[in-house]
Amino acid sequence: MSEVREVISSGNDLAARAAVDAGCTFFAGYPLTPSSEVMHTVSDLLPAIGGTAIQMEDEIAGVAAAIGAGMSGVRSLTATSGPGMSLKAENLGLAQMAEVPVVVVNVMRGGPSTGLPTRVAQGDVAQAKNPSHGDYKSITLCAGTLAECYTETVRAFNLADRFMQPVIVLLDETLGHMHGKAILPTVEEVKAGIVPRKTFDGPAEEYKPYGVAQDEPAVLNPMFTGYRYNFTGLHHDADGFPTEEIETCRKLIDRLFAKVDEHKDEIELNEEYMLDDADILIIGYGSASLAIKEAVNELREAGIKAGLFRPITLWPSPEERLYELGQKFDKVLSVELNQGQYLEEIQRCMGRRDIQKLVKTNGRPFSPADIIEKVKEVF
Amino acid sequence: MSRIVMRFTGVGGQGVLLAGEIFAAAKIKDGGYGVKTATYTSQVRGGPTVVDIQLDDKEIWYPYAIDGQIDFMLSVADKSYQLFKSGVKEGGTIVIEPNLVHPTDEDRKKWNIVEIPIITIAKEEVGNVITQSVVALAIANTYTKALDEKVLVDTMLSKVPPKVHELNLKAYELGKKYALESMK
Repeated sequence: MSEVREVISSGNDLAARAAVDAGCTFFAGYPLTPSSEVMHTVSDLLPAIGGTAIQMEDEIAGVAAAIGAGMSGVRSLTATSGPGMSLKAENLGLAQMAEVPVVVVNVMRGGPSTGLPTRVAQGDVAQAKNPSHGDYKSITLCAGTLAECYTETVRAFNLADRFMQPVIVLLDETLGHMHGKAILPTVEEVKAGIVPRKTFDGPAEEYKPYGVAQDEPAVLNPMFTGYRYNFTGLHHDADGFPTEEIETCRKLIDRLFAKVDEHKDEIELNEEYMLDDADILIIGYGSASLAIKEAVNELREAGIKAGLFRPITLWPSPEERLYELGQKFDKVLSVELNQGQYLEEIQRCMGRRDIQKLVKTNGRPFSPADIIEKVKEVF
Repeated sequence: MSRIVMRFTGVGGQGVLLAGEIFAAAKIKDGGYGVKTATYTSQVRGGPTVVDIQLDDKEIWYPYAIDGQIDFMLSVADKSYQLFKSGVKEGGTIVIEPNLVHPTDEDRKKWNIVEIPIITIAKEEVGNVITQSVVALAIANTYTKALDEKVLVDTMLSKVPPKVHELNLKAYELGKKYALESMK
């Protein structure tokens, strides 16, 4: 086993520390409850290492500056909550189309609109799949423990550079603000795991940033290094210049899907807790899984064999594994702090309509008792 | 050690959050598990605030205190006291600031209600109202015996600037003194 370290902190602070340890040198954002502590911590850490943390005039400018930094070649972060995600959506579409890596931490709170600013929810899961208009394939990771607020943020930076696109890290108010122990990989291990984005080092006249294989992301050299190309949100050719040529347009969007779909094994991550001998399958993610784990333990003490399946990568979803689990388990319960946003994906992947659901959207967390009661009621 | 569950309640701006962080961190430094959560409203100052603290030798998954399992509560604001008192187990101890919190006669039958003028102690005897969270910390640990005092005090000192170490030590000692007196 590799070396680990013990840190006492909150989820938001850990996400910020992870970004810096993963090589992020630029943050731009706008403080928004319950995500503000991400900005507080990077504002302490980044200037000290020669990086930049800027409070912009609003959410839109925050993501725009972060994308601009991503274009220039550095690892770049912004952080927000639901209302901020809504405002950032259009620019995230630009980053998908132009293939610009950027990490967005969204600490979910009650919505829609300003909703319940200080309270927990998981209502941005469907939004994370397609924050902006148009067709593309989102990558969304969802922390379920304090340690994962760190490790998933690190993973987000590596995936953003690998797939050249925004990666969303979903935290929620509970995880962002809870304070406790996290067992983390060492900074050295995190640094050793950094794979810089691909660059082209041949003659400048042969450089085709978007002229790549159909299952690969664009190869975007950092700006100001002697390679000239164009960024645009319009459909574009191999050099990045606008085009409406039929085949080029088709192939571009196909590639935005294929670069993720063909490499899902590099992205998918799940946890299976007490599932091997279970009779009842509970599916949940994020902070809700903390209550589920406690409930699974208590149910087992009472002789009821329940287990948890927890997707850590929410998008793309673990389609094959969910299908297999749907074949194996008769009794399936989906638990989420929204009206069933991921339930629809579970139903699709399992090809089943008989999945029980436990939902809550009043800004309060599930307690283990809520889950135990539901299991006893429906199974 | 079996799990110790504490709840601190007040209103936004009183600084009850820090005491929770100190408890959790001290327990972790002592080799166990500690979790603190804070729930507050979008009202920046004056909204009810509740801090839940759980300390255990075993891993804690669910971070909030479960109603009916709270061993000890401390409250410095009436509206939060009324909102959150029901989580305390029967016979549990609730320390209140008597100038601000007004329990009913039934409350006094159900719980061991202890009156300690926490804010007055911080303001007048320590000389800085901000130290009320450290006064509260001392009272809570004296009642629950949750942690070794040295570990707790060292953790507390590591979280406040050196220039106010003495002031906070004084606050801790006073909190402990009043708690011990209230037990007599």
